[in-house]
Amino acid sequence: MRKKRFFKKGALVVLLLSFAFSLAMLFTAIAQEKPAGEQPQVVGDTLGLPGKLGEAVSKTPVGTEKGYIDPNAPRGAFGIPGAPQVNYVLAIIWAVWVGWIFSTVGAFGGIMAGVGHITVFGLGDYARTFKETSSSLNKTLTDSIRTSNQFLVGLSSLLSTINYLKAKRLAWPLGIALGLGSIAGAVFIPILTGGKISFKQYQGWFGVFVFVVGAVLIYEMTPSGQASKKAAKQATQTFEKSVKEKKDLASQGVTLKEFGITKSTFTFFGVDFHFNPIWAFVGGLVIAAISSFIGVGGGFLYVPYLTSIVGAPMYVVAGTSAMAVFVSMLTSIAGYITVAKAGMDWSLIGIELIGIFVGSMIGPRTQKYIPDKWLKILFIVLAIYVGIGYFSKGFFGTAWVPM
Amino acid sequence: MEERIDALLIELYRLTGNLILDYFLGTFLLALLAVVVGEFTISLVFKINKAHLDKLHARVEKMRRLSAEALRLGDEEAYRACNKEGNNAFGHLFFNKFGLSAASLWPIFLALAWMQKRFAEIFLPVPFVGWEVNYVAFFILCYIPARILFGRMKRRLPYFRGIHQILSSYERKEPDQIFEANRKVGEGACGSISKRFPFRLIDRWKTR
Repeated sequence: MRKKRFFKKGALVVLLLSFAFSLAMLFTAIAQEKPAGEQPQVVGDTLGLPGKLGEAVSKTPVGTEKGYIDPNAPRGAFGIPGAPQVNYVLAIIWAVWVGWIFSTVGAFGGIMAGVGHITVFGLGDYARTFKETSSSLNKTLTDSIRTSNQFLVGLSSLLSTINYLKAKRLAWPLGIALGLGSIAGAVFIPILTGGKISFKQYQGWFGVFVFVVGAVLIYEMTPSGQASKKAAKQATQTFEKSVKEKKDLASQGVTLKEFGITKSTFTFFGVDFHFNPIWAFVGGLVIAAISSFIGVGGGFLYVPYLTSIVGAPMYVVAGTSAMAVFVSMLTSIAGYITVAKAGMDWSLIGIELIGIFVGSMIGPRTQKYIPDKWLKILFIVLAIYVGIGYFSKGFFGTAWVPM
Repeated sequence: MEERIDALLIELYRLTGNLILDYFLGTFLLALLAVVVGEFTISLVFKINKAHLDKLHARVEKMRRLSAEALRLGDEEAYRACNKEGNNAFGHLFFNKFGLSAASLWPIFLALAWMQKRFAEIFLPVPFVGWEVNYVAFFILCYIPARILFGRMKRRLPYFRGIHQILSSYERKEPDQIFEANRKVGEGACGSISKRFPFRLIDRWKTR
């Protein structure tokens, strides 16, 4: 009983911290708004680049040094003259690595996708060069980077959502409350922060996020984390032995019994599940806001939220979380592209997706040769390294580790 | 290579000689091409990874079934444990399906990249509301009917007909036959501990 209360409180603390994190991100965005300083001779033309990217390029000073645009230079990432030329072979190799992680470890693949855009392809360093000379281009490129991240990680939910829709395994009242919250969170973040977050701030927050993921991985390696997992496995095995196979369980499914603003009920196998749609809405809003800001899918936040705070069963969580990720991802990407008018490098995303599906085919075949423990240690080291590097580079201007 | 593809794709936009009609028809055919290439790729991935996906799917179904049974019997501890194991299994499956999504969707982005070069400046006005639709929105509007059309056509196309039959039988098998297949391969009660990103929050029992 005490343990249950502890986890309940823990889950609430996590939600409140997430909320505080979202507010801090928003304040960062608002604090970033400064009047633009005087610019020397500027490009004065969009150079055929769409949306805000074109506008930002037109206001950027002309020159050949870093932080300037030479209209005659060969076009690189996002079609900008002089931008880094992303090597497509490197992009495919990195994406294979990301796909391999997705199919073996899971959510850490999203972080590595972000590391690819920020560091490996050099887009982060390129955006940083415009910090003093063209803050609008710096911020527009930041939006493009986080939208690119979100394209890669958010797509994971598409097929799952379609499958669960077909199988009628969505708890609609819960899905609607969570989905509305997700849409609200994913709409507000592009509106409030689109074009207002400098790359420096984004990188700092990305580092904080990587730290959080690393902390969870470390907890998983502790005796307490191991014991918790072992206990669940043991209890499931014991239970499985004690029950005979029951046929036709799936056909009973989920039935809506009552829908109200503060209390809704659905029936699952004859048992009533109550949840507060307002909490589901708030959870969806906070998770979607964090996902949209950092540029991740958010699936790994929805699942524990639905099981721990909402108390939903697995049957319902699977489909509902997939739908929430899909809805928030779609809204957030649409928001960045239409409201914040982030420029996209479609070829890069297409090439990366090819690498990801190749990596996800290799993953299951190679996973058996690498012990789970070593994989976790590898990703803990990576999380600490990337977290320190991005956090220090973002908030203090210099990386405390070589990168 | 890029020029050859460009020359080939632009031919899709020169079928009738009417600019507006050609833009509609060309984009629809481009979307249909993206669907066909994506479906072909997904069929390859599915063929190669079917056994692995089956195994993951069966584990999720097993946990779902066990948690439902625990719920029915009012066994709180077993329900929480099965739910937790089920979450781990689901997460693993969820991220594996990302590979399938990527296999299906990559041609869309290459098509959009080509359209960006050719039609970035074209905006089609939407009657009565005063909005304008750019190439991305227009491509997506064409992609949805193209996908539906191909979904109906593929049952009659030689290679895709076979894949469709495999997928249909695969869907019909769930969850009982996959569960049984899984038992036959002799997996443990919960299979191996998931390698997925871990969750440490214990499920809350909220039934009354």
